[in-house]
Amino acid sequence: MAQAWYEAYGRAVYSYLRFHLPSADAAEDVTSETFLKVFQAADRYDPALGEPRTWIFRIAQNTLRDHLRRARVRRHVSIATMRDLACSAPSPEERLLWEEQVAQLLGAMAGLPDRDREIIGLRYGSGLDSAAVAEVLGIKEAAVRTRLWRALARLRGLLDVEGGEP
Amino acid sequence: MSQPPEDLRDLDRLLRGVRFEPRASLGPEIAGRWRQGERPGRGTPHVRRWIGIAAAVAMVGLGLFIFWLAALQPLRAYAVDHCCQDLDGGGDADDGLMVVARRGTEVRRLAIYEDRDGSRTFTPGDAIRFDRTGRPVVTAPLLPGIITTEFCCLDYDGGGPSDDALVVMGLPPDRISMAAIYERGAVGELR
Repeated sequence: MAQAWYEAYGRAVYSYLRFHLPSADAAEDVTSETFLKVFQAADRYDPALGEPRTWIFRIAQNTLRDHLRRARVRRHVSIATMRDLACSAPSPEERLLWEEQVAQLLGAMAGLPDRDREIIGLRYGSGLDSAAVAEVLGIKEAAVRTRLWRALARLRGLLDVEGGEP
Repeated sequence: MSQPPEDLRDLDRLLRGVRFEPRASLGPEIAGRWRQGERPGRGTPHVRRWIGIAAAVAMVGLGLFIFWLAALQPLRAYAVDHCCQDLDGGGDADDGLMVVARRGTEVRRLAIYEDRDGSRTFTPGDAIRFDRTGRPVVTAPLLPGIITTEFCCLDYDGGGPSDDALVVMGLPPDRISMAAIYERGAVGELR
């Protein structure tokens, strides 16, 4: 069952972590650590306490926090580290423009408070809906929306200051 | 999720399009690591790699330090105080031998003293009958009556095995005219 969880949530967890980490290598490391923890604690998972998704994302949050504290990760995001960015652009030029845009976006995100980065990472990185984000954060769905719009407004402000209209 | 405010819609749309994909082999790799007994909490692979490099550097450093200590060992001075024998031919076993050597290699100082106070070790009150540094010397003319004595074998130079011989030319009752230490088995090798 534990390995089926990777099949179900591995991509979402990776993408969530990638919103916080500057390179694919770092995201792979933290994803691996997260799922090793999931495998180890699988016996103790109690379905009564919530969906496995919520439980797994909480483990990912804690693992990410430990990693950031330990590694003092640089927040700088470079295009050269975007090899894992999904892209459906038909031409190399469009892909390059898309990578630049995302690098600018994540670079601006690095200037946000942890709380804002967390909610943006959960909502857009992992693709969780507001109900799932509320469950992971242990807050009401309406509060998720409020916090998310405020976080986006601050992000918009940072992008405007940098002069980079995405 | 309800629509974001008007001014944030483009940003919302942009962020919805951002998705990162792990490499396809990551899942099987994690499962393989789990099956091989790897458990969380011992650092990420990159951290472990640096820990491994640091450990290797530390081991090499430790090895070099031990090698340096071993290489330095013969250079360290080693003192031997050997008492008491009849080295001057006077009849009484009251002479002591002081040797300062580099372990097993070179005798830097060789002194013969008379253990006047019977302490069986060199003390300030003892009379030094012969003292030399460096190469062997003869401190008195080779007069008739000189007694040459060889004492073998003890570890006079601190090298470990008892393979050193002491040769003394004494003029009774209490004069020493020459003394030298050599290693048995290495013919003619004076220390």
